[in-house]
Amino acid sequence: MRKFFVITIPILTIALFILTMLSDKVLKNSLSYDDNIPLSIEAIIIEIENDNWAEARDKTDLLSKAWDKVVKRVQFSAEKDEINEFYKNIARLRGAILAKDKSNALIELNEAYEHWENLGK
Amino acid sequence: MNEGLVVLVRSIISFFTLLIFAKLLGKQQISQLTFFDYVLGITIGSIAAELTADLSSRAWPHWVGLLSWATLGYLMELITMKWRYAAKYIEGETTIVIMNGKIMENALRKMKYRVSDIMALLRNKDVFDLNEVDFAIIEPNGQLSVLKKAEYAPLTPKDMNITKKSSGISTELIYDGILIEENLKQLNKDKKWLMNQLKAQGIKDVSEVFLATLNPSGSFYVDKYKDKIKKITDIGDYKGPY
Repeated sequence: MRKFFVITIPILTIALFILTMLSDKVLKNSLSYDDNIPLSIEAIIIEIENDNWAEARDKTDLLSKAWDKVVKRVQFSAEKDEINEFYKNIARLRGAILAKDKSNALIELNEAYEHWENLGK
Repeated sequence: MNEGLVVLVRSIISFFTLLIFAKLLGKQQISQLTFFDYVLGITIGSIAAELTADLSSRAWPHWVGLLSWATLGYLMELITMKWRYAAKYIEGETTIVIMNGKIMENALRKMKYRVSDIMALLRNKDVFDLNEVDFAIIEPNGQLSVLKKAEYAPLTPKDMNITKKSSGISTELIYDGILIEENLKQLNKDKKWLMNQLKAQGIKDVSEVFLATLNPSGSFYVDKYKDKIKKITDIGDYKGPY
């Protein structure tokens, strides 16, 4: 019993902490049908390239919801700046879609993808 | 992102990590710490604070920093334990600053201590006259150890050829109104004996007692919740809020 308290509990605690701190690498990936960030970004890029601005706007809303879901999972391990930058990209993307500005919209989407990639690095 | 929640989780991580590492790093008392141990403690504490509240970076690199410092500290401890030569270099060594009643000026200069510092340290040891000092040694943790001249050393029972029994260490028998039966057994006493002792002091029940201790030589101490002291001495020197 003493060994359990002195050795097992500290080792399990440290292991749990390490898992929590490194979990963003796994938890940023899709776990359900509506939280796939790369797929959402890709879908918006296709709509923008085809000048389907209304669909692009709808899919941006979906991307925003998907990101909200992912943030809830990765917030304990990811850095705040990376998370906030993604939110900024979404906000600027909405502006670019309103202005029907293809180049800026694509820039924001690519940068957002980079921020998603950087989670867990 | 719920910042409050994230800080709470990170606090739990850093708090318990620090607790586990501190247990691994040993049980040295603050007064035994060398300057390096002191700096090590401050640095580890500051990394733990960053791990808790610096949300602009991931928790992981801070945690690795914490682990690295704790591991290096542990290695240093191992090295100084196993290799005396390294211990002398890392922890420093004792320096004699007063030898046979004479102040060692060169040693003081080397240690960057002024005579006034030594005088202050001596006063902390209840020595106000340098004539009383035979040896004074600065320990690696910066404290001064003093050996008084034989004529100033306190008189002991041995000097008077008096034999005294060891009083031993007091053991708690009652704490916060609760009887600790294990300790009672350890001292070969029973509840009846304890109740008789309490009765002799005018106590009817164990719950009236805040603390009762007994040492192997038989000295019994009792403190009741009701102290019956009418005039409490106030040692405060200035009127404060309490």
